[in-house]
This record gives sequence, structure tokens and C-alpha cells, in this order.
Amino acid sequence: MMLKLNDIHTFYGNIQALKGVSLEIEEGEIITLIGSNGAGKTTTLMSVCGLTPPRTGEILFRGKQIHALNADKIVALGISQIPEGRRIFPEFTIKENLEMGAYLRNDKVEIRKDLDYMFDLFPILKERQNQRGGSLSGGEQQMLAISRALMARPTLLLLDEPSLGLAPIIVRQIFDIIKKINQEQKTTIFLVEQNANLALKVAHRGYVMENGQITLVDSASNLLNDEAVKKIYLGA
Amino acid sequence: MDYFLELLLGGLTRGSIYALIALGYTMVYGVLGLINFAHGEVYMIGAFVGLIVSGLLTVLGWPVLAIVAIATVCAMVYAAAYGFTIEKVAYQPLRHAPRLSPLISAIGMSIFLQNYVLLAQSSDFQAFPQLVPDFEFLEPYTHIILSSELVIILAGVVTLIVLFLLIKFTKIGKAMRAISQDRQMAMLLGVNVDNVISATFIIGSALAGLGGILVASHVGQINFYIGFIAGLKAFTAAVLGGIGSIPGAALGGLILGWTESFATGYVSSDYEDVFAFGLLVFILIFRPAGILGKVSSEKV
Ligand SMILES: Nc1ncnc2c1ncn2[C@@H]1O[C@H](COP(=O)(O)OP(=O)(O)OP(=O)(O)O)[C@@H](O)[C@H]1O
Ligand SMILES: [Mg+2]
Repeated sequence: MMLKLNDIHTFYGNIQALKGVSLEIEEGEIITLIGSNGAGKTTTLMSVCGLTPPRTGEILFRGKQIHALNADKIVALGISQIPEGRRIFPEFTIKENLEMGAYLRNDKVEIRKDLDYMFDLFPILKERQNQRGGSLSGGEQQMLAISRALMARPTLLLLDEPSLGLAPIIVRQIFDIIKKINQEQKTTIFLVEQNANLALKVAHRGYVMENGQITLVDSASNLLNDEAVKKIYLGA
Repeated sequence: MDYFLELLLGGLTRGSIYALIALGYTMVYGVLGLINFAHGEVYMIGAFVGLIVSGLLTVLGWPVLAIVAIATVCAMVYAAAYGFTIEKVAYQPLRHAPRLSPLISAIGMSIFLQNYVLLAQSSDFQAFPQLVPDFEFLEPYTHIILSSELVIILAGVVTLIVLFLLIKFTKIGKAMRAISQDRQMAMLLGVNVDNVISATFIIGSALAGLGGILVASHVGQINFYIGFIAGLKAFTAAVLGGIGSIPGAALGGLILGWTESFATGYVSSDYEDVFAFGLLVFILIFRPAGILGKVSSEKV
């Protein structure tokens, strides 16, 4: 078991955002968490990363409790997140943004190699490496956000709505990359999406979240054919 | 011409001091979005540590150069320790509180430190020894620039260069810049925000301590209140240049220093502050974020 959330409850002040969330991810899996606005998807990811630690419940990463660790310690274990809205550092150049992704690493030679790998993956980033991050388009920013997260060489990658606000062709490209990362680097993927159709097509399994609780768990193909899911999330 | 040069270099001296202190305001604002009102007091404490250490070593009969070096290092280390502690005591517990709380805590800290030194050292001005010896090569130019002024200017320039390199190229510098743009994202990439904030306070406070001892030795007297005034001016310089911006702190310091120097020299010293704050108002009307400041849209 790579990641296990065990009945976590997370609050913002007095507002309870997660009301007993449990989920599991196997090594090498792509799982997706779908749900409508305000369901608690972002909060779930932020709870894993230590930015909004759960008030009760436990989070295990490869059997080790991580819910009380500082965010930087969690990243050091190999968990990276591409947050909602991509959050590129606007003042940093593209290269600096990428280097920031390798913040916890000290292996200069390998970092250089990874940088070249990212530039291969997204040639546009290489072309514009000395321009400010804030000057990129939404799609380019998402590519940079993915590359920046990969610079940490994560074993578990959390993605929060990578398709948000992007043209369909870019979305497809992004999802292809996600699949590629999963297959080639054996990176485990935890994908949060509102675009349920697309997410369920790349994922192995899916969770459906409503109001801070998990309401459905199944294989992705079953969810794609589930009447309730179809009606609410697939717009059919 | 000599008079103009004198004012120019005098302004440069003041400007260097303001810049040295303004850096602390601006760095802390960058990572925390907070005005550390106790920063001026750290400067004042640096000066007192310099006074105590140099007095002690003089009594012990140490050589001048050793006294200067040790007193300066002590002032900086002490100031850094104060800065570190102030953050831990007054700001860190309020990290998630409403924005007004740490601001009030900062003002409280400033008042506390002033009064603590007032009680310990009385309110009288105390003579500060001239630490910087008179350089022989400056002998013919003493009507234009003093040795202590030259040292202040050099210290300012060297500090700025070192700090610039630190911010631009080191890991801690990059972390500071990342935090000032998006703290949460920096955390998601593994930056330990608490450590970086501590480092920021340590660096900024050490610079204030350096400024404290340099000015004290130049002016020749200190009391518990010097930090308040210097802090206010340096804060003005930081805002003038664009708070959060390091080149802005340097530029703001210089502009303020020259404004005051020329206002004093060509108008009257009574008008020094009028010109200084008038300039601030004037610039803020046209550039609300300061000369090099960014109009921040993302900072909430
Ligand atoms: N910083 C915050 N302070 C207070 N409440 C918050 C905060 N962030 C989120 N919430 C609340 O927590 C709940 C879950 O929010 P969350 O952002 O996790 O939802 P989401 O599923 O990611 O939604 P979306 O699809 O819109 O991104 C919502 O009711 C939201 O209003
Ligand atoms: Mg969300």
C-alpha cells in the first residue's frame, strides 16, 4: 500500500471540510477523485501534503504515519503536488521555477539531467527558459507545473484539476503525459478532476466525493458506466 | 564645489545607513508581509552592545583593530540573536492570526525593547568611542568626508553586493523569494518556511546591528531612542523604494539620504524631515507601491 487515508477529518477554523475520508492507493496505480465544487477534493490533497493537517484520523505513506509531519518532511518522502491553479512563481524564470522543484535535492548532475528531460518533454519550456513564469499561457503554465513537480522525483504525484481552463487539445496532451509518467517512471498518481469523463479514462480506480465524504469507490470502468455517476458527473 | 561634494558624500553616508536598516524591513516584509516595527530597536541594541564591548576591551587595553573587529562582530551576533528571538516570541505564534495581530505585537515589542534599554541604561545620551581611526590618506579631504563616513559607505556597498548575491544564487535566497511569491507553493516544494523566516530575521537584524555600531561610532553618542528615529527613516526609505524589493531598499535609502543632506545643506536643517516625508508623500501619490515596488495583485 502506498498511501492510506484512514477516517480523516479536516477543518478550516470551525468549518469542517472533510468528514471522515478514507481511501487507499496501491503502488503504481492511477486513482482519481471526482466530485463537484466544494466537495473537499483540494482539501484532501492538502491534508496529505501537510498544509491542512487533519484534526483526527491518520495518513500512512508506505506504512509510516505522516499526518503530523511538517510539509517539507512530507515532500522529502517523495510526495509532490501540482496544486489547483498551477501556482507558478510569476517572478521566477521558467528555469528558476524548475530548479525550485528540485529544492530538496543536492545531486547537481542528476538535476541537470532531469532539467534536460523536462525540456525534451516540453520543448516550449526550453525555448522560453529565461522568461518569467508569469508570462506563460495557461497551458504552458500547466506544463511547467508538471515539470516542476517531477523535478523532485516524486514516487507519488498528486494533481489537482490539471485540465482546468485549458483547451481540449492541451488537456489531451497533459493527460497523455500523466499516463506516460505513470508507465515509464512508475510514478503513482492521485488525480483530482472535475472532468470525470477524462479522468476515469486514464485512471485505474476512482473515488467519488460529496460534501467532505467518499460516497462511491469502484474501478474506473465501472464508474464510467454507473448510472448515478453518469447523471451527475458525466453530464449524460 | 567642495560644499556640494560634502553634501553628496554626507547624503551617501546617510543613505547607506538607511539602506542597511531598510533591508531588514524589506526582507521581513518579503517573507512575512509584516512590518517589523521592532527592527529599529535591534539597531539600537546593536549600538549598545558595541558600546559595552568596546568599552570593556578598551579598559583591558586591547589593540584598536581587535576592539573594532570584536565589537562589530558582537553587535551583529547580538542583534541577530534579538531578531531571531523577537520573531519566535512575538510573530511566530501569530502566524495564522488576523493580519492586525502581528502588527500590534510588533509595536508592543518595539515599546518593550525601548523601555527595557531605558531602564537598564537610563535616558541620558552616552558617549560612544570613535572606533574608526582617522585614515591618513583622507587627511587632505576631511572637510569633505570623514573616515567613519567612508567606512559606512563601504560597509553599505559591500553588504548590498553580498546580500544581492545571496538572494540571487543561494538556496536560502531562492527560498526567500519563493516564499514571498507564494508561501504555500514553496511549502509544497519542500521549503521549511519557519527556518527561512528565522534566517531572514537573523540576516536583517545582523545588518541592523552593523548599522547601529557604525552610526554610533560616527555620531559619538547613543541612547535608547536612536532606534526609533533611525527605524522610522529606514522604514520610509523601504517604502519609498518599494517595500519587499531589495534594490528598492538601497535606492530608497540613497534618495532619502541625499534629499535630507541637500535640504539641510541648502535650505536649513529644520527642514530635513519636511523634505524627507514630503518626498515620500510625493512619490507614493505617483507610485503607490514605491519606486521599484510591484503593484501586487496576488498578495491578499
Ligand atoms: N481556506 C479556507 N477557509 C475556509 N473554508 C475553506 C477554505 N478552503 C476551502 N474551504 C471550504 O472547504 C470545503 C471544501 O473545499 P475544497 O477546496 O477542498 O473543495 P474542492 O472539492 O477542491 O472544490 P473545487 O472543485 O471547487 O476546487 C468548501 O466548503 C470550502 O468552502
Ligand atoms: Mg479544488
